[in-house]
Amino acid sequence: MPNPFETLGLAPTFALDGAALEQRQRDLNRAVHPDRHAGKGSGERRHSLNRAMDINQAYRSLRDPASRAEALFELCGVHDVGERTIADPVLLGDMLDQRELLDEARRGKDLARLEALKRDMLERGRQIEAALAKAFEALLASSVAGQKPGAFGPELADAQRLFTELKYVRRFGEEVAAIEDEI
Amino acid sequence: MLLDIFDPKAPPKAIGIDLGTTHSVVAHVRDGRPIAIDTCDGGPLLPSVVHYGAHGEVIVGRAARAYAEREPERTIASVKRFMGRGAADAQTRELGTYKFAVPRSEEEAKLVRFDFGDRTRTAVEISAEILKSLKQSASDQLRAIGGAVITVPAYFDDAQRQATRDAARLAGIEVLRLLNEPTAAALAYGLEQSARGKFAIYDLGGGTFDITLLELDDGVFQVKSTGGDSALGGDDMDRLIAEKCLRAMGFEAPESAPKSVIGLVLGTAREAKHRLTESPELTLELPRRGGGELTLVLTRAEFDTLIAPLLERTGRAVRRALRDAKLEPSDLDGVILVGGATRVPRVRRYVAELFGREPLCDIDPDLVVAYGAALQADQLGKDGHDTLLLDVLPLSLGVETLGGAVDRILPRNTTIPVGAKSTFTTYADNQTGFELHVVQGERELAKDCRSLARFTLKGIPPLPAGQARLEVSLHVDENSLLRVHARELSTGIEQEVAVKPSYGLTDEQVEEMLSDALDHGEEDFERRRLAEAVVEGSRVLAATRKAILVDSDLLAEGELDTITQCITDLEQALEPGAKAHAPGRIQALTQLLDDRTHAFAGRRMDRAFKSALAGQDVAAIAKSVQHARGVDAHVEEHEKGAS
Repeated sequence: MPNPFETLGLAPTFALDGAALEQRQRDLNRAVHPDRHAGKGSGERRHSLNRAMDINQAYRSLRDPASRAEALFELCGVHDVGERTIADPVLLGDMLDQRELLDEARRGKDLARLEALKRDMLERGRQIEAALAKAFEALLASSVAGQKPGAFGPELADAQRLFTELKYVRRFGEEVAAIEDEI
Repeated sequence: MLLDIFDPKAPPKAIGIDLGTTHSVVAHVRDGRPIAIDTCDGGPLLPSVVHYGAHGEVIVGRAARAYAEREPERTIASVKRFMGRGAADAQTRELGTYKFAVPRSEEEAKLVRFDFGDRTRTAVEISAEILKSLKQSASDQLRAIGGAVITVPAYFDDAQRQATRDAARLAGIEVLRLLNEPTAAALAYGLEQSARGKFAIYDLGGGTFDITLLELDDGVFQVKSTGGDSALGGDDMDRLIAEKCLRAMGFEAPESAPKSVIGLVLGTAREAKHRLTESPELTLELPRRGGGELTLVLTRAEFDTLIAPLLERTGRAVRRALRDAKLEPSDLDGVILVGGATRVPRVRRYVAELFGREPLCDIDPDLVVAYGAALQADQLGKDGHDTLLLDVLPLSLGVETLGGAVDRILPRNTTIPVGAKSTFTTYADNQTGFELHVVQGERELAKDCRSLARFTLKGIPPLPAGQARLEVSLHVDENSLLRVHARELSTGIEQEVAVKPSYGLTDEQVEEMLSDALDHGEEDFERRRLAEAVVEGSRVLAATRKAILVDSDLLAEGELDTITQCITDLEQALEPGAKAHAPGRIQALTQLLDDRTHAFAGRRMDRAFKSALAGQDVAAIAKSVQHARGVDAHVEEHEKGAS
C-alpha cells in the first residue's frame, strides 16, 4: 500500500491544510473518477475505479488526524504504531476521570454539561495536534532513508505519547456523539 | 418534438429515471435542459402502482390504482418500501392491503414475496414493470434509448441498491449509474442556478427520507454527509390518517380490517392529506363498521399533531448529518426541498425552523430528481463536461467478529468509490475454513445491523489458532455497490467471494426470471444478448479508436499492430450478417480487445492523473506515480523502450 501522501502527491506533514487536501482530492477525482470514463471499455473503467478508490482512501486517511499520524510514523519506518500503546498512568487516570464526568452527564441527561465537556476536549485535541505537528517536524527532519526506529531520539517517544493521547481524545468524541444520539 | 420523433439518425439517448415510492418519472435532456417525458397516464407523473390481472395482464399507473379497492391483493402500490427486504422485515407488518406469501424455505424468506394466488412475485419483478412502462414512454418519444441513470434514496443500503439494479436488468435497461436522489436534485438546482456554497437537501418522498449536506464548488458536488430513514415518508402520513379513520369507523385494531376497507381508507387518507395543504379543515364521509355512515372532521392542526413524531424523526437525522459534516445550520447557503411530501405546509415550516431559513422549492419537488438524473445521464460518457458528483457511503460497512461485535471497516460518510482492508485470524487449531459475515449499519452488534452477505473462505492451510492471516477487502464503487475480496496472506490464496446475498437475488435467479419473462423464451433471450454484446462491443471499439488518436505516443512498439488486429476482428464481427455476428463471439473479441489495451489504458490513466497534479511538487509526483496502482511492469518496459 503506497503512503497516502505519495498517492495524493502531497509533501508529508502533520500540519496539513484541510482545504488544500480537499482541493487535491477533487482535482484528482476530476481526472480519474469512473463517471469521467463511463463511455469507455471495461478495462479502462476498471483502471479508473481503482485509481479513484486509492485517491479517496488516501484522502480519508489524511483527513483524520490519527490516521494521518499513522501514515507519518510509517514514513519514518515505525510500523504498526496503532498496536503499540504507551502506558502512561497519569494520562490513563485523567481519561478515566473524564469518562466518569461524561457518564454523569449522560445519566442526568445534562446537555449543557455534555456540551462543556465536548468543548474542553475539542480544545485539548487542538493542543495535542499542534504539539504533534512540532513533534513530526522534528522526526521528519531527523529521519533519513533506511533509518531504524531505534535510531530516533526522544522525539519519537514524544510523538508516540501524543498519538496515544490523541486517540483517547478521539474515542471520547465518539462517545459524546453516541450520547447525543441517545438523548 | 418533431425532430426527436423523425430523425432516424438520432443516436440513442440516455435517460434519467426517478423510481419513486408513489410516483415515477422519466426525463431526458434537450439543448442542455431537462424535460420530463409524458407517461402512459398523460402527464409526467406515473403512479408507482402495478396491477396483475387474473388473466395475466399487467397494468401500471393510474389505471392500476383504480383496482386498489376492488382487487387490493392483486394491486401493489409503494413497492419500493420492500426493495431488498426479507419476509420477516418490519415493513411487512405495517397497515396495508398487501398479501404476503408465507416463505416455504429459508431461501424464500430472504425476499418479500407478494401472493397473487396463482403465483408469487418479488419487489424486484414488480418494480421492473414500472421501469418497463417508463422505458416504453421514453422510446415512444425518443426512438432509440441508450442507458439510464436511475435514482435511489441516499440512505438505501447495499441490498436495496442491488435490488434496484436487478429490476432495471429485468426491464432490459442498461444502468449507467445509480444516483442518490438528493445529489440528483442538487445537480438540477446547481446547473439551473449556477450556485456555489454549502447546501442541505431535505428530501421527504412517499416512502423514504434523506438528508444530504453538500458543498458545490466549481462544478464539483461534494457530499459532506448523508443520513435518513429508508422507511419514512408521505405514506406514513397517509397511514396515520387511515388508522384514525378506521378507529372512528369501529375497527379497534385497524390492521385487522378487511383489505378492501383498508384500501379504500388509505385512498381517502391520501386525498385528505393533499386537500389539507390547501384548506384548513375538511369533512370525511366514511362507512361505519356494520353499516351506516359517519362524518369525521379533520383539521390541519390535528393533522400537524398527528405527523409531529414523523417530523421529529427527520429532525434527528438532520442533526446527526450536520454533526457528521461538522456544520452548523448557519454555515449553509441554502436548503432545498425535494419530494412530494414537502408540499405539506407543516413540513415546510418545520424545515424552516430546523435550519433557521426559508427553504428553496423553485423546481417542482416531484420532478427535480428526475431532472438531475437526466442531466447526469446526458453528461456521462460525454467528454469535456465540468461537473463531478462525489458521493458518500450512507451506512458503515463492517464484518462480524467472534462474539458478534462488528469490526467497522468503512465508516459512513466516506467519499466513494473507496476500498479498505482489515485482517482477521483463525480461532481454532487447524481451522481450514473461515466464515465471514458482512454487515451494514451503525449498531455495535452484528445482529442489529443489516446483514449483507455471508461467505466462507476455504482452503486455509492447517495452522495453530491465530497463525493464519485473512485479509478482507471491501470495495465500494461509485454507485455505493459493494464487492468483497478475501485472501489468506501466508499462502496468498485469493477468492473474489461469490457473495451470497442475505436479502436479494443471485445473478442466476435474475437470469432465470429474465428468460421466463420473455415471451418466446430462448429466441428473445438470444436476441437480447446479441443486442447487449453489440452495444458493449461498439463502445469499446469507439473508445479504443479515440484513445489511439489522442495518446498514440503512449503505445509501445508493436502494441499498435496487436490492437489494430483486434479492432479489425471486432469490427467484422459487429457487421450484421457476418459469420462471427453472434453474442458469444462478439463478447470474446470485445474481451480480447480489452485485454490487449489494458496496459495502454493504465498508462493513459496515469497521464490523466499526472496532468491533474501538474504544477505540483515534482519530486512528490514522481514518487506517487511509482507507487500508484495500475502502473505495472508494462510501463517500465515501455519506458525502457522509449529511452
